Amino acid sequence: MESVIGVPRPRLDAPEKVTGQTRYGADGHVHGLLHARLVLSTEAHAVIQHVDGSGALEVAGVVAVLAAADLPTATTGTDRTAEPLARQEVIFAGQPVAMVIAESEAVAQDAAELVLVDYEPLDAVVDVEVAMAPGASLARRVEEAEAGGDLESIHAGTDHGSADDEHEQLSGNVLDRVHRTSGDAEAALSSSDAVVSGTFRTPWVYQAYIEPQVATAWLEPDGTLVVSTATQGSFVSRSELARAYGLPLDRIRVIAEPLGGAFGGKFALVEPLAAGATLALRRPVRLVMTRREDFAATNPASAQVTMLEIGARKDGTLTAIRGRMIVDRGSNAGWGVEGITSLLVGGPYRWEAHDIRGYGVQTNRFTFGAYRGPGAPTAAFAVESLLDELAGELGLDPLELRLKNAVVDGDVGISGNPFPVMGAVDVIERTREHPLWKERGSLPEDEGVGVAVGYWPGGNEPAAAVCRVDADGTMTIVTSAVDMTGVDTGFSTIAAAAFGLPPDKVRVVLADTATGPYAGASGGSKVTYTVGKAVQRAAEAAREKLLAAASEELEIAPGDLEVVDGVVRAVGAPDRSITVEEISRKALRFGGRYEPIEGHGGSAQTSLAPSVAAHIAHVRVDRDTGEVELLGYVIAQDVGRALNPALVEGQMRGGAVQAIGWALFEELVHDEDGQLLSGSFLDYAIPTADRVPPIETLIVEVPAPDGPFGAKGIGEAPVIAGPAAIANAVFAATGVRLRELPMTPPRVWAAIQASLDA
Amino acid sequence: MIPAFVEYVRASSVDEALEALGREDAKFLAGGQSLLPAMKLRIARPSLVVDIGGLGLGGVAERDGELVMGALATWDELERADVLRRPAYQALAECAAGIGDLQVRNRGTIGGGLAHADPASDMPAVTLALGAQLRLRSPDGERTIDAAELALGPFTTSLGERELITEVAVPVPPPGSGSAYVAVEHPASGFALAGAAALVHADGTTRVALTGVSAAPFLLDGDADDAIERAEIFGDRFAPVDYRRQLAHTVVRRAVERAAKRAEEDATWKA
Repeated sequence: MESVIGVPRPRLDAPEKVTGQTRYGADGHVHGLLHARLVLSTEAHAVIQHVDGSGALEVAGVVAVLAAADLPTATTGTDRTAEPLARQEVIFAGQPVAMVIAESEAVAQDAAELVLVDYEPLDAVVDVEVAMAPGASLARRVEEAEAGGDLESIHAGTDHGSADDEHEQLSGNVLDRVHRTSGDAEAALSSSDAVVSGTFRTPWVYQAYIEPQVATAWLEPDGTLVVSTATQGSFVSRSELARAYGLPLDRIRVIAEPLGGAFGGKFALVEPLAAGATLALRRPVRLVMTRREDFAATNPASAQVTMLEIGARKDGTLTAIRGRMIVDRGSNAGWGVEGITSLLVGGPYRWEAHDIRGYGVQTNRFTFGAYRGPGAPTAAFAVESLLDELAGELGLDPLELRLKNAVVDGDVGISGNPFPVMGAVDVIERTREHPLWKERGSLPEDEGVGVAVGYWPGGNEPAAAVCRVDADGTMTIVTSAVDMTGVDTGFSTIAAAAFGLPPDKVRVVLADTATGPYAGASGGSKVTYTVGKAVQRAAEAAREKLLAAASEELEIAPGDLEVVDGVVRAVGAPDRSITVEEISRKALRFGGRYEPIEGHGGSAQTSLAPSVAAHIAHVRVDRDTGEVELLGYVIAQDVGRALNPALVEGQMRGGAVQAIGWALFEELVHDEDGQLLSGSFLDYAIPTADRVPPIETLIVEVPAPDGPFGAKGIGEAPVIAGPAAIANAVFAATGVRLRELPMTPPRVWAAIQASLDA
Repeated sequence: MIPAFVEYVRASSVDEALEALGREDAKFLAGGQSLLPAMKLRIARPSLVVDIGGLGLGGVAERDGELVMGALATWDELERADVLRRPAYQALAECAAGIGDLQVRNRGTIGGGLAHADPASDMPAVTLALGAQLRLRSPDGERTIDAAELALGPFTTSLGERELITEVAVPVPPPGSGSAYVAVEHPASGFALAGAAALVHADGTTRVALTGVSAAPFLLDGDADDAIERAEIFGDRFAPVDYRRQLAHTVVRRAVERAAKRAEEDATWKA
């Protein structure tokens, strides 16, 4: 029964969220709870000489002042899990150095100010290009630990390219090199009819979730460490805690709380701190970051410098793409986006040759983390700006140029693998029919329309789900997938359709690591595609139990039965029927004859289901002030199948808004000493409602062969091409190309001035 | 985001408030929209806050040839006051309407904003352009100063240690006057990168003041563009000096144009 698929429905959690009833991680009561306040490094790079907590300990209500040596960490690594508090060397301003634990948050904050830390300052490595050069100061002196964890696999269903076998001289700050090459890019470019190039710069960008990071830890009577936390993945948090403190998995229970936004930023960053304090003190401890701490001490998206060159023949056939992509990982030695950004920079296009190098470079700036489509908006900003320029050089329509080169099923991408089913052509064709695009030639002065296209490859991870039908005929779906984006509502739709119940009879419960079936973290646009598939199979398995029982009751073979709206009936003879509720009641009782109507389902997707999205931006540029006003915005996205169009459109709009943030507002800035200059919402701008135009959504459906009812993962694709579309619109309005994000008024004004001077 | 320990007293009269402020490191608390965030960030650590919210110092009305705004009139009150619909007063209403968000405007007060003397604050420019007088009370009695005498520099005023702004008074402009406030805001803080207030009279005489571009708001003397070129303009990470100077020219031009249009409307204005 598919009639529930494709019907817009409100999110299951909407009433409790909009009425303020949801209990988030910081809201729960815990008996005997202590509160932690962090002492953050004031130095970007230094050796810790001494941590003096004696003054803090004199404050009434302070229980302990903890430094690195006080935590029972069990590994020697230097990543944030292995080293929740800096041991010896601080590597960015804002790194946690000590924790004050007190009876109240206020006391903890009073006392945290009294903790004295002696630092011996070292050179701060802030500029990523300087950091790469041979002989550059090192951002970390202490010997590197091994790579810190498996978070990378969450985000990219891709492999790194071949290891670099060349001998470019680079400093020890370069932690990773990727070289993706095929064909002769040099020859292809030199024989092209048009070649364009540019250097594109993008800043560190903060996820800016509403709810700051929070974790609460306590010990059960049997010694189990329980951590209740705002995490995107309870099993990820559990494995990180096990690694940090050397505990067996069965001695840790992670309870994921409702998320107040995450966007890639909530992966076990604060759990090791709260848990470490609890293990040290044997008392419940909660850490709720303040907004200032969250800005300074967490894991935003990395800054990137992309030098890119692309070519084409007269007829618009793309020839080659060549580039260097430098990714600022900050202090993250474990992973970076150089692998994925060097893949995605090719866009959903065919290239005859490519030669892309990626570099992951450490600096004394934050710890890099994931943010919606890691490495993708930065790549798309470069290639989609250049495609626009290339179309101009060749006198071609920018969308026709893209369409001519858009990949179709089976084309081989930069990854070396054939693209799976992809809606690039469909999305571009839909976009070019939109009036905003078609009528772009008749705009008032200083207005312009720009377009850009991007895609996200999707991700996979095995997952399982449980389906249970109660004696009242309602269904409960149990998963361990944290609901970040309305996926629970999607699960209810999938289960209802797969089983034959109205969706309002299906509720979805999030289990913890002790009770739930396995699911990886919510991220990488993989939850609906993978966990959703497991939910579908769990519901189907339960349906088999249902049909077996109904078959006995009705004396009709299961194959001749259908389930519609909670009623099992004979195909072609709907009056011969029995309700799901009746069967379930017969099953769930003393002396009952049928197995409970329950099912377990799993999935291990091997195919990927990339999602393509195109953005059309309409801007007006104030030449006197450099302000860019968005007058209109359209996003078209291939979502495979829109299980619930209301939620799909919400994802598309949310992605577009965050793209507007990348394009026009957001920038974490450090000074030359590595001090954060835009670490509050007074300095760090995000798109507010008054700066976002109505966003029109165009849903394109090219079903994923293996997705639940054809659905694809859709969360990340809608952020990717937005900055490029807006940059292209600014060019259309002014004739000026901005190659640095965000396109703030001073930058736009300066670029216009420079073009007038030239 | 928890303030350091602080004592609190709610004053029931101006005299009581002035008395209470005698304590070292005591601060008046009006709408709290600047002081409380600063306390939460522990940038401000008063020993005592003296809440003057109960002193009945609100209200906006014309009397005796003046437009009188109580020091505790909120931005929202100014935004919505009928008397400020007159084109000659529009700078006050439109400036108030652009401050913060609705929550801020519901609590923030004109007196508190002026006394805080943030160099990027909007309203000081309007008070300068409209030639406002500030009525002050201290244990020594009452005095009146010109709005232009208030700010000495960033967050620094000529107010005495125990002196309170009680009223902001603007001379009623002659018919055919128009005023306007135009700002370009920092996209995060909403504070003015450059803000200009203009008052244009029927005879074409114009008073223009700028805020956000220097240590304190100031009246432009003589030709506006020349005055901006002469002025010492601040630059910062976000808005360098040349950009801010350009903004100053732009907002002044736009404010004067808008005020001139309103002056025409004002000639036939009926309340």
